[in-house]
This record gives sequence, C-alpha cells and structure tokens, in this order.
Amino acid sequence: MEERDGRAGGFKKDTADRLLRMHFRDGRTRVNGDAQLLMAEMLSVFVREAAARAARQARAEDLEQVDIEHLEKVLPQLLLDF
Amino acid sequence: MAAEAGGEERELLTQRLKAAVHYTVGCLCQEVEEDKDVQFSKQSIAAISEITFRQCEIFARDLEMFARHAKRSTINTEDVKLLARRSSSLLKYITQKSEELASSNMEQKEKKKKKSSAAKGERTPREKETAVTESEDSNMS
Repeated sequence: MEERDGRAGGFKKDTADRLLRMHFRDGRTRVNGDAQLLMAEMLSVFVREAAARAARQARAEDLEQVDIEHLEKVLPQLLLDF
Repeated sequence: MAAEAGGEERELLTQRLKAAVHYTVGCLCQEVEEDKDVQFSKQSIAAISEITFRQCEIFARDLEMFARHAKRSTINTEDVKLLARRSSSLLKYITQKSEELASSNMEQKEKKKKKSSAAKGERTPREKETAVTESEDSNMS
C-alpha cells in the first residue's frame, strides 16, 4: 500500500461521515469521531491506490497518460483488496 | 408533498457530496501525478470519483452490519478495522492510524486533566471531564 504522510489532499472527516450516512438503513446508526477520521483515511487510501495502480499500469505500457482502460485493468484487484 | 421535498433535498445532497468527492479525488490524483510522473485524463479522474462514491455504499452497509452485530448503533474504530481485513497491508495501515489516534486522544486527555487541575481554584466543582468521542483538532483532515 502506498504510504504517505504530510499529504495536502485527502478526505475530511465530515465528508466521510456524510457519505456513509447516506447509505445507512437504520436511522439510529451513527459514526463516532475517531471512526470518522479513520474512514476519511480509508477513503483517501482507496483513491490513492486506485490512482497509483492505474498510473503504474499506464507506465508499464510505456504511456504517460492514464486513461480509463488502465483503471479498468487494475479495478478487479483493487476491489478485492478493499 | 413532504416526500417530494425530501427527495429533492436528498438529490441535492447527493450532488454536493459527489462534487466534494470529485474535488478530493482530483487533489489526490494530482499528488500521484507528481509522484509517478503521469497525467490523468479527465475521464479517469471522473471514473475514480464514481467508483469511490459507490464504494461508500458498500462500506456504509458493512460498517452498519458490524456495529449491529456487536449490538451497537454507533460505529467505532473496531468496525473500521474489520472493514480493512481483506488486505494485510491495508489492515496494518489502518490499525497503525487507529493507534495514532488513540495515543493522540490520550495526550489530549492528559492536557485537559492538567488544565482542569491547574484551574481548579477558578472553576466550579461541577465541571466534569467528559469523554472525548470526537477529536476536533486532528491533523488528518
């Protein structure tokens, strides 16, 4: 997994919370503060992995532009890992 | 009519959230662009956003199930760790982050203890130390 600290981008804990709340089946379900932070981190890792793997795929094909087909190739394993 | 208004509101919220995701994905992709010396096509960024947005539904349902299984209605960090079980490096990473959070929470509690014991003379004895469930000042956001 790509590890990075001191990152500029990344999901905010409020965004992560709202994204999750949209899909809860029970109206009483909540996410505690630390879990919100962890989920924000999880989502950021998810995106970074998707991007980095697609980039590696493009590079392996000697290309500089990352296109959808590169993402498609790495998607199955990405979803299995998450 | 109330249902209609609710549907519209929800649609608006969805749009706003999708935009927030798209923005953040753009930022993260930019970091990877610099890192790997590549360029992401607009479509690939949009695709990553879409996939991420949809993945949230899976995460949310799983988390809710985990908490419910533990007879809780509030999702906590243990549930999130369960979510990360499929990849050992991911699990390691998330566990590490969770420990960092826990230790920074301890630090905050220590600070509060010191503050309140120092200010004991000035404050009313009714002031209790409340459990910190939400850490506001975190350097993760």
